Amino acid sequence: MFQKNVPEPSSPLPYQQPTSHEDDVETVVGPSVHVEGDFASEGNILVKGSVSGNVKTSKLLTVEQGAKILANVRAGNAHISGEIKGSVRVQDRLELSSTAQIMGDITCSVLAVEPGALIQGKVSMGGMSMEGIDTESVNKRTRRRRGTEPESEEEEIAE
Amino acid sequence: MYIYLYDNYLRGRKYDPVIGAIETRLTDFGIAGKIIRLQHLTNTESVINEEVRRGASTIVIVGNDKTFGSVLSRAAVCDVPFGFLPVGEDNSIAEVLGIPVGVEGCDVLSRRRKVKLDVGWFNNRYFVSRLHIPPSDIIVEYDEQFRVSSKNGKIELVVCNLQPYIWKNRRNRDIVVHPQDGKLEAFLRPLIGKGILREKYEDPSIFPFEEMVVSGRKPFPVEADGKISKETKITIKLAKNKIEMIVGRDRKF
Repeated sequence: MFQKNVPEPSSPLPYQQPTSHEDDVETVVGPSVHVEGDFASEGNILVKGSVSGNVKTSKLLTVEQGAKILANVRAGNAHISGEIKGSVRVQDRLELSSTAQIMGDITCSVLAVEPGALIQGKVSMGGMSMEGIDTESVNKRTRRRRGTEPESEEEEIAE
Repeated sequence: MYIYLYDNYLRGRKYDPVIGAIETRLTDFGIAGKIIRLQHLTNTESVINEEVRRGASTIVIVGNDKTFGSVLSRAAVCDVPFGFLPVGEDNSIAEVLGIPVGVEGCDVLSRRRKVKLDVGWFNNRYFVSRLHIPPSDIIVEYDEQFRVSSKNGKIELVVCNLQPYIWKNRRNRDIVVHPQDGKLEAFLRPLIGKGILREKYEDPSIFPFEEMVVSGRKPFPVEADGKISKETKITIKLAKNKIEMIVGRDRKF
């Protein structure tokens, strides 16, 4: 009854077709697992532990709460709830939940941020068209408000 | 000429009816052939090579997952098409290959739909179904790109090739390893403590790979297709399109 159990791999089970979206996860980094080095996958990546190295996927990257990535990240789509120290470049949609912390520049097409998420870095988003706006005068007005633009130039613009 | 390799367990009386029915069906199809009964010490590689030299065109394994693994781990180097007739219990590989268990398997064999299968390779040995390392102090390096270690020390490793592996998730959503997708899949389960009756494991980490190096300071046990050996460093690779296999229409790849 109290025999020491020899750990065995899971018993073979009949093959089943995947049914849910989560079944598509191809790479999982477990909570107490540490990955060192550049880490690339052609499928979805789920990070629950820590990664010290670049992470790259063309599909979905999910970083769970408590997980850490200490390098640059590139992904097709990303859902971040953990910490990233490095630049984040997402082709399509980046979602930051309330527990997300990103220390680095962000580049994406669509950004969704929950209240509480922390970002320290530059955010760049593609698809912006600013036609019909005199960007030079906008910049000068901004500098004037800050007190860095000389008065004479301000008068010239007014004329 | 067909050669049939019967596993030793098929001598049991309960298998007589199904074996009789299979042999009748094979005769009806005109693909009956020589029967060789495998013993514990049979060297399948030399047996198959000898039969190929005598003119064998197809080698058919008759048995279960264990028979399939033990024959092909030695015979993967033989240049001959293989068939499989699953009989009895423990036949999960047959389902992946689309071969029904019992007499119906003869229909698949007679159609001769052949595909090339990938096999795993480690330290000069092939493995067809699965490789398993019980919890040990190991460090795993993937494709010479990244290293994986556990904060808790011991890790259990399972590498799947043809035998399906299902991770029962806590949220009742199973994650299934997809065999035969051009990569091997490695499951890593760090040991997080001991319970009253059994050890506790963390949720597994999954990494698809083509080459992996597993090393440890102390020798660790490695079980591949049922054979156990002790190693200090192993390199696991994927040997693509190594085995030519007769499969069914309902195969899972």
